Amino acid sequence: MPTKLHPALIGFTVLVFIFLVGPLVIVVGAAISDTTYLTFPPQGVSLRWFENIFAIDAFRRTILTSLQVAFLSTFIALLIGIPASYAMSRYRVQLPGWLSTLFVLPVLVPELVLGFSLLKNLAFQFSAPIFLSLVVGHTILILPYVIRVISASLASFDFSIEEAAVSLGSPPLRTFFTVLLPNVRSGVIAAFILAFITSINDVSISIFLTGPGISTLPIQLLAHMEQFFDPTVASVSVLLMVLTVAVMAVVERTLGLTFLAK
Amino acid sequence: MKRFAGWTLASPATLLVLLGLVAPVAATIYTTFGTPGGPFATYQAFFGSGFRRTVLIRTINVSLIVTAIALVIGFVTAYVVSRAPGWLKSLLIVAAVFPLLTGVVVRSFAWLIILGRNGILNSTLVNLGLIEEPLSMLYTQGAVIVAMVYLFVPLMILTLVGVLEAIPDDLIQASASLGARPSATFTQVILPLAVPGLIVGAVLVFTGSFTSYATPQLLGGEQVMMMGTLMYQQAMVTFDWVSASTIAAIMVVITIAIVLAMTRIARRLNPMAV
Amino acid sequence: MTKPLSIRNITAHYGQTKVLEDLSLDIAEGELVSLLGASGCGKTTTLRLVAGFLQPSAGTITLGGKDLTRLPAHQRDIGLVFQNYALFPHLSVADNVGFGLKQRGIAGEAKARRVNAMLERVGLAHLADRLPAALSGGQKQRVALARALVIEPPLLMFDEPLSNLDAKLRIDMRVEIRQLQRANGTTSVYVTHDQEEAFSISDRVAIMHAGRIMQLDTPENLYQRPANAFVARFVGFENLLPMNVVARDGAQITAEAEGGVRLRLGLEHFGAIPDAFVLACRAEGLAVTDDPAREGIPATLGLRTYLGRAYQYQCDTPAGLLVANGPLSRPLEPGSTARLVPVPEQCTILAVEAD
Repeated sequence: MPTKLHPALIGFTVLVFIFLVGPLVIVVGAAISDTTYLTFPPQGVSLRWFENIFAIDAFRRTILTSLQVAFLSTFIALLIGIPASYAMSRYRVQLPGWLSTLFVLPVLVPELVLGFSLLKNLAFQFSAPIFLSLVVGHTILILPYVIRVISASLASFDFSIEEAAVSLGSPPLRTFFTVLLPNVRSGVIAAFILAFITSINDVSISIFLTGPGISTLPIQLLAHMEQFFDPTVASVSVLLMVLTVAVMAVVERTLGLTFLAK
Repeated sequence: MKRFAGWTLASPATLLVLLGLVAPVAATIYTTFGTPGGPFATYQAFFGSGFRRTVLIRTINVSLIVTAIALVIGFVTAYVVSRAPGWLKSLLIVAAVFPLLTGVVVRSFAWLIILGRNGILNSTLVNLGLIEEPLSMLYTQGAVIVAMVYLFVPLMILTLVGVLEAIPDDLIQASASLGARPSATFTQVILPLAVPGLIVGAVLVFTGSFTSYATPQLLGGEQVMMMGTLMYQQAMVTFDWVSASTIAAIMVVITIAIVLAMTRIARRLNPMAV
Repeated sequence: MTKPLSIRNITAHYGQTKVLEDLSLDIAEGELVSLLGASGCGKTTTLRLVAGFLQPSAGTITLGGKDLTRLPAHQRDIGLVFQNYALFPHLSVADNVGFGLKQRGIAGEAKARRVNAMLERVGLAHLADRLPAALSGGQKQRVALARALVIEPPLLMFDEPLSNLDAKLRIDMRVEIRQLQRANGTTSVYVTHDQEEAFSISDRVAIMHAGRIMQLDTPENLYQRPANAFVARFVGFENLLPMNVVARDGAQITAEAEGGVRLRLGLEHFGAIPDAFVLACRAEGLAVTDDPAREGIPATLGLRTYLGRAYQYQCDTPAGLLVANGPLSRPLEPGSTARLVPVPEQCTILAVEAD
């Protein structure tokens, strides 16, 4: 469009982006500061607070737990979510209308409520192991994201190529893997990434389901903050940010970053 | 077999949601009605308690303020971003998405550093000579609001950029060709067509704020207790699970009521079903 | 008060790509000129330049003497009808039509009167309160038309307004548009890729290709006397035969094409014929006959297709592959030999073009 934007609007937007990026820069700065307290700008440069992360047993364990829970729940969510999305696209007439609403419920129901309910009715009622409850909770949390992304991919999928494959003699299961999946590849990657990151960062569900011995990284971070308000917290945050950047690099390589705007 | 293919594929996910979400949450809400004092005793106790009423009202207020601020900031920013040239627009969208992916703890923690007694804001103000003693900014409602605005602005920007891009270019051109100045095109064409999307964004931010835990916990603590932190305290500190369930039920009702009401309004206002 | 449009030496770029080069076009007051061509020829670019949605790299655009080139789009006072109608979905039909009046400060009684009068003219008065989503394609197009006309602009521009409608509606609507334009007498630019549409309603047509105007003329002249090979093929001259004059004999010349094929052509019909020229013939301009006594191009007949009004043959000749028509009364078999006799009324002479 040829018309120009008012400079006040542009100035405002610049301020907003400084507002968005600034605090994260501050966290990075605080993480490398050579002090025992949190300060910005950093005084001296030191990586000892990064080393400290791995020195602290609790952090080592919770990083591992978070990764395990994230991988497992993402895997399960993809395993049951992709067929469900496929079913709602392809066999829409067979399925009731409330099904798509059902899969949106985890977004509508507050996470705290879900976490607490699982604590009460799963972990407590059935003495389910903490890890299991965590995986169940996280899988339910990320399932709507998987379904939404895959359904969007399938919306632009031409099902007649499936029929062409079958008419040429390809059995249904093989068709699924060799014809369908490659074509929704970008959707699967996006769903994986979105689900994984959501699980890693989750607080509201994990806060109820974690306990002594098993905890996730964000929860451990919160606990650590209450006790020791030192730069270790900042360096863990930076670690999480680095993970995010790595993930975004993967997205850029495979899909292009504007995919995220959807 | 083909006839049930749909159900076969969708049943695992359906079962998980039914057994892992619907059943437990329904059970939780159910327990709030079964107390000896009568079916609504727990709710009477909740609304009868001055403290709890304060928490509820405070949470509603904070959520409304956060939503309003995020709407304004988000809409203006989204408008500028949607008009940016290709390469810049991608960069800005990345910059807006990045905070979203870093997680709630990191983003709330950043404000602890900024607003703390020894934090940047205080040291800057002291160094500039504007104040003598550092201000106590943490554990105030203001701190919670600022941190939550920070949390939700990226979400609002992304939602609204999508909304604005959905407005066809030729409508803008038609408006200009009929003599409308850019500001007139904005108020008479763009804004009305963006309203349904604005409503969706507002609902997302409001319900997100209302049910938030980590941010109020870090920046508000016990001085600024909100529904999320109160619920956690009742569940894990006081072990009053009935009270926690009551709060949970209220959260669910308010969230679903707002989503339903706003969706209906948005659908009625949405003329873009062309 | 309609005005003449003058486009002078316009060069336009999309990024690095040059899409229009030194384009000039003058449209007289009250004239309807079509820009006709395939997609990518530059016709829509030209329209967007005049409308103000694109800035030219060089050249000027003037409307009745007023220089529009640097003027922002919303100050140009041009009525635009878009391909996808571009109706404001949140406004009623009446409010859509009245939008331009509102921007000009016309409100209340005066606005309502003019809107209603215009809606009457396009036959949509009974739909004044409907929203665009409730209208059919044809109705939407009429609203778009009304919206552009009601502001009484000095210039009207149509960007392929009928391409989203079905065939029958297209024919009805183009007649309506022409009638409205004639009644108002507004200078109009009409962009389309449909040859029949352009030819049926325009005073003149500019056939465009690769950012240039190949010929600007009345539909009759374009159809019967194309100026170059591109336009000739565009209007249906399938056969183009480069020839050289070998003998001149008063009102007749003898010319030779590739493969030693010789034809006698009369100057009475063709006018002056240069020594080197291209003979352009429509399929019906070469009559297929199996009478060996007739003078014509020797041919071996290939595939025969049925056109309803004639048979059409793919012909292998010493001068190349040609397409010719033959009468229904004498269908000829593929493989048989025949002669192709030029029919002067369906042929024309073109100058030889440097490649």
